[in-house]
Amino acid sequence: MNRTLLRADAATLAGILIAGALAACSPAASNGGGADDPIDWKITDSTAVPSGDIDSFTFASYAEPYSLDYAYAFDYADNSVLANICESLLRLNPDFSLSPGLAESFAHPTPETWVYTIRQGVTFHDGTPLTPADVVASMRRHLDPEVGSFWFSVYQNVASIEQTGDDQVTVTMTGPDSQFNLGMGGSAGVIESAATLTEEGADYGNSAGGVNCTGPFSFTKWESGESITLTRYDDYWDDDLRAHSGEVKFVFMNDATARINALKSGSVDGSWMLPMESVSALTASDKGDMLFGLNTAVGSLVVSNLDGPLGDLRVRKALMLAMDRDGILQAAYRGVGEPSDVLTTESVWQEASDAARTTAFDDVTHYEQNLDEAKKLVADAGAEGAELTYVTAPISNDFSVISQATAAAAQSIGLKVTVETVTPNAYTALFSDPSAREGVDLFYTSWYLSSPDPLEMYSVLRTGDFSNYGDWSDPEFDALVNEAVTIDDPAARSELTAKAQQIANEELPWLPLYQAPISLYLGERITGVQPSVAFLYYPWAATIGAR
Amino acid sequence: MSAARRVAGKLGGLLLTLFLASLLVFFSRFLVPGDPVSFLLRGRKPSPESVAAITAQYGLELPPWEQYLRWILGVLRGDFGRSLQYRQDVSEVIGDRLPVTLTLVVMAGLIIAVAGVAFGAIAALNRGKVIDRIVLIGLTVLGAIPSFVGGIVLIALFSVGLGWFPSFGSGDGFGDMIHHLTLPSIALALVFIVLVGKVTRSAMVDQLGREHVEVSTSRGVARQAVVRRHVLRNALGPILTVSGVLVAGLIVASSIVEAAFGLSGIGSLLVQSVDRLDFPVVQAIVLLVVFAFVVMNAVVDILEPWIDPRSAAGAGAR
Repeated sequence: MNRTLLRADAATLAGILIAGALAACSPAASNGGGADDPIDWKITDSTAVPSGDIDSFTFASYAEPYSLDYAYAFDYADNSVLANICESLLRLNPDFSLSPGLAESFAHPTPETWVYTIRQGVTFHDGTPLTPADVVASMRRHLDPEVGSFWFSVYQNVASIEQTGDDQVTVTMTGPDSQFNLGMGGSAGVIESAATLTEEGADYGNSAGGVNCTGPFSFTKWESGESITLTRYDDYWDDDLRAHSGEVKFVFMNDATARINALKSGSVDGSWMLPMESVSALTASDKGDMLFGLNTAVGSLVVSNLDGPLGDLRVRKALMLAMDRDGILQAAYRGVGEPSDVLTTESVWQEASDAARTTAFDDVTHYEQNLDEAKKLVADAGAEGAELTYVTAPISNDFSVISQATAAAAQSIGLKVTVETVTPNAYTALFSDPSAREGVDLFYTSWYLSSPDPLEMYSVLRTGDFSNYGDWSDPEFDALVNEAVTIDDPAARSELTAKAQQIANEELPWLPLYQAPISLYLGERITGVQPSVAFLYYPWAATIGAR
Repeated sequence: MSAARRVAGKLGGLLLTLFLASLLVFFSRFLVPGDPVSFLLRGRKPSPESVAAITAQYGLELPPWEQYLRWILGVLRGDFGRSLQYRQDVSEVIGDRLPVTLTLVVMAGLIIAVAGVAFGAIAALNRGKVIDRIVLIGLTVLGAIPSFVGGIVLIALFSVGLGWFPSFGSGDGFGDMIHHLTLPSIALALVFIVLVGKVTRSAMVDQLGREHVEVSTSRGVARQAVVRRHVLRNALGPILTVSGVLVAGLIVASSIVEAAFGLSGIGSLLVQSVDRLDFPVVQAIVLLVVFAFVVMNAVVDILEPWIDPRSAAGAGAR
């Protein structure tokens, strides 16, 4: 459910983003305005409706998907392509709300059961109709140890998945779990043809096997290492999301400079997630629009060792107070973004009560930079001269800016930080392998949420959770989160989550730094898309047509 | 020694080299830190059953020697295992990317052969003159340009500046592919042209001073014919030997060029597979490169006596 920016696919990113970082220092990147000038930005909800259809358009992705198998679709590169081919039981919209998808409705008759009514008249790209048997087969794959689904955590409380009627599938949980249904708008809720799953077996979703789903585009061709081509599916069930383009081609450009050049020259029509260093060059070319959209990610420092100096809350607070977060935003993102004192963005609190929002965002500690207070806290804790190990990887400009800023902040309050640079893959291992975290006090992550509920964030900080990297433990926090998970009413649930957010803000198991919008470049030929991190699950390419 | 025995001996040496290489390639992976299973299950909170099942799927729970046996027996049947990163047969993963690299290597090889021999010959025939100096200095400068720098310069000049060639991708169809791969193959060839050029020059200079060349010249044989029949032909031996070494070097060096031009070939695949601990792919590519290297050397050894009968007759003969 929770995924980290640049985590799963750190390796692929390395090439491009290093190049991006290099470009930041080259004169080429600074044409059309000072290289360090802040970027004037605002959130855009939607772009102009297309004036008509187009034959095809090309989008550049910073990396190639490893697989189009929904069970392994766990990163920007995989999901941004798959979202246009495969659909889920629920649909996660660009405003981060959930609406019916392949399930035309769902019911929650008992706290332990979720009943999905499967939409009629939907066909897979091979023309066969969608049936509850397909839904059961697709969902059960997440429970199959042989598959090793990346989305198993969504299904961890599932006892059984059964067809219970002609158009009905019932999921029974081992206990009340409000989060399961919220996850059905993402990859965990994707439905594939059962026949295709059997037929392709182990080759399902790779460049040879491909996929056969129900989305507005069908999978046509995957040229390994170069591109994936999708074709409009003419029998698509939802008229509102019928594709405006006959074809869409995703090209993989690991090199950031190459990607920017291709966008500037118009040989590629658009791209998500651009390095901020290149924004001035792109806007100067005046060939298209640089847009910023809704995001759910918060950039944070994970405290991965509470047995060391950071085990003392005063030291964690001191480090937080010493950080120059505006400076970090300026250096890493040209000022695109805002400092954050909490681990979630307001975009995932839409269903929350007003009181909960106030608790979660106003009644929390705001860590304005204050070196005197920070030094005093370090002195109180007797931690002067304490040594910390910070692990980073040469992945992108923000990684280096944040590691340097953290080291500088720590030094300014009398702590010593050793920055260890490891390979992108070794950095990735920090998130899955406890032995990789031994002797590591801090590392950076940009953690985004895939469901419209802040509880997704706080459930991973419970005692003993896989992603509670520092083994932080707070009984009151655990009780709040465990209770919230069982509450169905989003408003009532949010009030408990808000209290959990307050505790995390006070106790700092992770140090929140900032939130930044998702970036999108649209060339002069195309329009229609709504910039939002929901591009990971929403069929955004279908909305793109001629300007 | 008969030709058949010599060829058989070469083949035996080839197989032994490949076997030793396979051992080295396979067991070196156990020296690399990191767990492939954590890459295969990089979602959040995998179930313990899943960890066990995936470990067994890839045979990672077996003792190393048994893993080697399974792997090498598979390789002998043409089965290189499954790629961890793409969850696909290694032969497919490599097969998809091989055409690009092979075309690139062949194109670069042609450029190297033609340009290298031409420059070397020009320098040798003008030994000591200004042209010789210019060629030698020119080659030394070329040789000092790393291929990624060469690639960037070529892109800036011919793609972005003049717009003659595309700057990324490998194109669709044969003609388009040649068009796309022109700049990358030049970038790849640069360093190697120097090597072949210098070897050609010294081999030809050596031959030019030989008695038979002087005799031919004094007997009034045309200069062109002397160079062709006596100088260049006799100089082919060393040139061929260097070329054999080049092929493997080209495959490895292609990784840098492929990255610069956004090509999806064996070289860039090797680099990314190493970082992602995708051992089956790394093993297959390294074995492939060793195979290409060994085979090219064997071919050169076998061909040499036909080109230059002296080498078959033994070192003492003149």
